[in-house]
Amino acid sequence: MGILDKKLSLRNRSKMLVGIWEDEDKLVEATSALVHDGVHIHDIYTPYPVHGLERIIGARRSRLARVAFLCGLTGFILMTTMIWYMYVLDWPVNVGNKPVRFTPSWIPVMFEGTVLCTAYGMGFFFFWRNRLLLGVKNDLLDDRQTDDRMVIAIECVEGMNESDVLNTMKSNGAVELRELNHGVQTTI
Amino acid sequence: MIHDSLIRERLVTGDKTAADVTRDIARPILNQPTKSWKIGFTLSLIFLGIFGISLFNTIWTGIGVWNINKTVMWGWDITNFVFWVGIGHAGTLISAVLLLFRQKWRMSINRSAEAMTIFAVVCAAMFPVFHMGRVWVGYWALPLPNAFGSLWVNFNSPLLWDVFAISTYFSVSLLFWYIGLIPDIATIRDKVKTKTAKFWYGFFSMGWTGSTRTWARYELISLILAGLSTPLVLSVHTIVSTDFATSIVPGWHTTIFPPYFVAGAIFSGFGMVATLLVVARKVMNYENYITIGHLEAMTKIIMVTGSIVGIAYLTEFFIAWYSGVEYEQYAFINRATGPYWWAYWSMMSCNLLAPQVFWFKWARTTPWFIFIMSIVVNVGMWFERFVIIVTSLHRDYLPSSWVMYSGSLTEIGLFLGTFGIFFTCFFLFAKYMPVINMAEVKSILRNRE
Repeated sequence: MGILDKKLSLRNRSKMLVGIWEDEDKLVEATSALVHDGVHIHDIYTPYPVHGLERIIGARRSRLARVAFLCGLTGFILMTTMIWYMYVLDWPVNVGNKPVRFTPSWIPVMFEGTVLCTAYGMGFFFFWRNRLLLGVKNDLLDDRQTDDRMVIAIECVEGMNESDVLNTMKSNGAVELRELNHGVQTTI
Repeated sequence: MIHDSLIRERLVTGDKTAADVTRDIARPILNQPTKSWKIGFTLSLIFLGIFGISLFNTIWTGIGVWNINKTVMWGWDITNFVFWVGIGHAGTLISAVLLLFRQKWRMSINRSAEAMTIFAVVCAAMFPVFHMGRVWVGYWALPLPNAFGSLWVNFNSPLLWDVFAISTYFSVSLLFWYIGLIPDIATIRDKVKTKTAKFWYGFFSMGWTGSTRTWARYELISLILAGLSTPLVLSVHTIVSTDFATSIVPGWHTTIFPPYFVAGAIFSGFGMVATLLVVARKVMNYENYITIGHLEAMTKIIMVTGSIVGIAYLTEFFIAWYSGVEYEQYAFINRATGPYWWAYWSMMSCNLLAPQVFWFKWARTTPWFIFIMSIVVNVGMWFERFVIIVTSLHRDYLPSSWVMYSGSLTEIGLFLGTFGIFFTCFFLFAKYMPVINMAEVKSILRNRE
């Protein structure tokens, strides 16, 4: 598994059913109906976030928040260690003969470093987890899926009644149905 | 239960569909530049040229070409630094704080405000960097081991906190802005026709497809980044205020500075957002997206923050008297009645009095008037920083050191030149990137509750 793993590419899937919607409410209804029928939805592509879809298709809750906490903790430890090393261990600065130890004046730098590590650590994890990388080729099922159309992609598995799935999609407002075979789409 | 609201006014008017949003907002990117864009861009380049000449003069001759001296060692440079940093704060406020408060009206204006943040911070950074004089050793401000032994940076100094704060703020704002841009870059990628444009938008869209799982993570990262940016934005201007407040200069040594600076930053930032958006909505035909409702919401924030700043001015005066410290008292009397009285009263009238006009609905809903007022706010906030810095420094404890100060031609050129940097970047951004967040706006077309 990796960010450039070709097996993950939609172009290399053996057979998929693709439904296109233009209405958000109908898309949500269709998704619920398909899940209710026990169909495993590979993914749904929308031009804007449609709330609740990820819960309907049973996507696992993101662990970004935990990653953010761990990155923040790392940043905090790094900055505290850095200041302690420079300010206490390597070159203790004599300010009015006061003992050289933690002072509130460390806090701004510790805070900024913590925020920086949290943001960039989380950002890196976000890009990695979503397989987003500068220059990566996109896998679009429809040219308008980033504009005004919504796409449901279903991977055909053994035992799946394709005509039932297509009927469910059609009766729930799909404006177009397609079949995807090794990167080649045909309208049904 | 989700349903279309019958009561709330629509945030996007004109019965737009998702396809309309893409078409309207991507129009400047997909078409040739308009005449007004070309004129604006040329003007910005002229100002950029002024910046180049002034900077060359500063580096080639040295900062002796500035009029700062041993008494007024901070003049136009740090005034301009604080001015631009302040402007840079509204972007994060709109993106982060309003997101946390679920204020959906932010969606039409957050993109340009975030862009404004980044360009303003670049302009701000110019001043302390070139004030160092020997800019080629600017990296000494970083905690690096150096060639002269293990002498490290001073963690007790607010100037060092500034280095960390501004660079963190810039980096995090850039990440926030870019993550928000990816879905829209993908939309443009799928609309452009030329091979070069397809390549570049494809490159920066990182293979975005709009997968449901990606959207879920996108919304989560936006929320966490907003939660991080909110204390960050407060910390950055608090730290900028401690550049002054930790000193013993009369007029600077006050505990009110952090909240007063933060309110001032939001005030000036919204002033600049209003300046840009009142023009942009007209020139780019975005009146259905940046509606009068948006302008009204911004003017209300301007009025509230202007009043907070006004109360801070009055509190400072009261505390100076109440403290019984004669140096402090003189600093404030000198501000209001001394040789820089004109700057003080410009500040008071632009920042405290002028925004009170927004109590009237007409003032809040008339774009040309909002534009004029936004300029007044910008002028007022520049004067605020000038008053704080110059009036406090030019007469402090030792009367034999008292001097007058006014900016030299090079200092004025540098300030005007930063407008060149700012607007050149903004015009390029408006030409090549969607000025309004298309994906987010599409999600609020139906006014859901």
